[in-house]
Amino acid sequence: METAPVTLPSNETCLLSAKPRIAFFDFAGCEGDQLQIANLEEKLLDILAHVEVVSFREIKTGHADDYDIAFVEGSITRPEDEARLKDIRAKAKVLVALGACAAIGGINCLKNFMGEAFYREVVYGPQAGWYRTYAARPLSAVVPVDAEIPGCPIDRLEFARVVKELLLGRTPWLPDYPVCVECKMAGNICRYDLGKMCLGIVTRAGCGACCVTEGAHCWGCRGLFPSANLDAARQVMDNAGFDRRQVQDLMRFFLGDTRAGL
Amino acid sequence: MTAYTVQMEQLPGLFAAWSAQCQVHVPVALETGFYDFSPWRPGTEIAFEYDVAYNPLKRFFMPPREDMIVFDLETYTAKPVFAAPSILLFGVHPYDVKAVTQLDQLMESGSVDQNYFSRRDAAVIFAMTPLAVSDTAFWASVGADKVDQGFDLYWTKIGPGTFHVEIGSGRGEELLLAAGPLAPATAGSREAARKAQVRAKTLGASRSLRFDWRETPHVMGRSWNSSLWHRKAEKCLGCGSCNIVCPTCYCFDIREEVDEKLKAGHRFREWDGCMLNGFALVAGNHNFRPQASERYRHRYMRKGKYIFDKIGELGCVGCGRCVRACTSKIADPCEIFNALWEESRNEI
Repeated sequence: METAPVTLPSNETCLLSAKPRIAFFDFAGCEGDQLQIANLEEKLLDILAHVEVVSFREIKTGHADDYDIAFVEGSITRPEDEARLKDIRAKAKVLVALGACAAIGGINCLKNFMGEAFYREVVYGPQAGWYRTYAARPLSAVVPVDAEIPGCPIDRLEFARVVKELLLGRTPWLPDYPVCVECKMAGNICRYDLGKMCLGIVTRAGCGACCVTEGAHCWGCRGLFPSANLDAARQVMDNAGFDRRQVQDLMRFFLGDTRAGL
Repeated sequence: MTAYTVQMEQLPGLFAAWSAQCQVHVPVALETGFYDFSPWRPGTEIAFEYDVAYNPLKRFFMPPREDMIVFDLETYTAKPVFAAPSILLFGVHPYDVKAVTQLDQLMESGSVDQNYFSRRDAAVIFAMTPLAVSDTAFWASVGADKVDQGFDLYWTKIGPGTFHVEIGSGRGEELLLAAGPLAPATAGSREAARKAQVRAKTLGASRSLRFDWRETPHVMGRSWNSSLWHRKAEKCLGCGSCNIVCPTCYCFDIREEVDEKLKAGHRFREWDGCMLNGFALVAGNHNFRPQASERYRHRYMRKGKYIFDKIGELGCVGCGRCVRACTSKIADPCEIFNALWEESRNEI
């Protein structure tokens, strides 16, 4: 069924005229989110026609300090990280937190529930006294963040979408509903129907419920969705027969820095 | 109504003939113990005794995500997109048929939803009398144990290897006779089918409304200020699962995405739900249903009153999918309607 083309009103002003300059930075993290961007492959080449990458150590050499958009991966785990992040913030017009560590603190926050002497010993061994370290935190605990691309790792197609939205002058969009919506769209059997625990009920969607679709459960890597009802979630997990320790362990895996009272 | 008798051994030939013309979907048992519709292939074991399909069938007429327009940013032109795959749904229970006929009415009223009807018109529905009922269903008490429209054929299993098949449309009869002539129904097979349908009604009444379903809009009209909305909504996760699995919920959001060259793009719609906080969020960051209790009440008002006021039937077909899908166990229309009836029955 085809009908005649419809003419849209001209809206040329929405496109940025100059090529925005983009830089990538990382703090405590595995650089896996930047790897996802490299994995965009041919899509990346098309995007690169619209931007100038001035710093991206995972895929190119060189660095320049004049950039418009800074994509920052990793969480802040040392006092000296703060000065570096504030410097990036001062130089960037737009600062985007890239991945769970940067956006919500992520698994680095696991150490926040352990004694400092203990995790120093585990990580640095005999050199435990050589390094400065403090509780892990997301970028937003230190500087204002303009946009977030959550996930561990990020969904590379979501990254591409957010970049395109920024290039078109639009406010980047993230789903404000939980993973349950995408899980049902995918036609998955609910983990709770299988007697399993799942954080999809409080976690921001956008991943396409990939972990559940592949047979696992949601770990909460994209952070809480804005109106997540944690009291209700606690009751759901309790009624499903999970003890407080099991619930706490799963909640702390990625959500250690959130207001999650579990 | 014209009817035929079909034997089990005639089915492979019929399915082969149908699948040559369209994609055939049938109920199958999943490894997890649930049932769902799945594409038929030679050798597929059809779950005639399924209780309910885990996922709603609306996905065949309104997929979770569907392109509506493709546009070109260089020429500023746009073209509509319509998809109409030929499908045949075999073994659809009456409550799910009723859900489809309800969508037909709602999608046709006002501005006709062309995307919906392009898919709907390319679909053939073979209904089937239920032989089992899920423990959350209550379809018999909302008048959805039997339908007299919305199907091309209506199958009733009247013996271990025998079906009574009523004709609902010319297309249905043509497909039924696609593999050769069949025996016309006898008085005996008609009577057996009637009994099977009565059995289905009894089966489906294991959970039921305590009042005539036609009273529901009045019950809802008396319940706007009930404290039940607050009590239930406290436990609401706002996950929208009850909406998404509902066979009659059809709300969607529209978004756009451009390609990596920033030269062309597409506009698509995705399933949305009134239980999601962002559903009623509009320009200026204004939310016209900001409280979970308002959203919760709205869903039941839609199911019990607003839809009824439009088309004279409940917006709930009693399939029980939302009851199961709600991990907080607060989304049971049968329980809610009964509770509201109980607390308001002595009011005028």
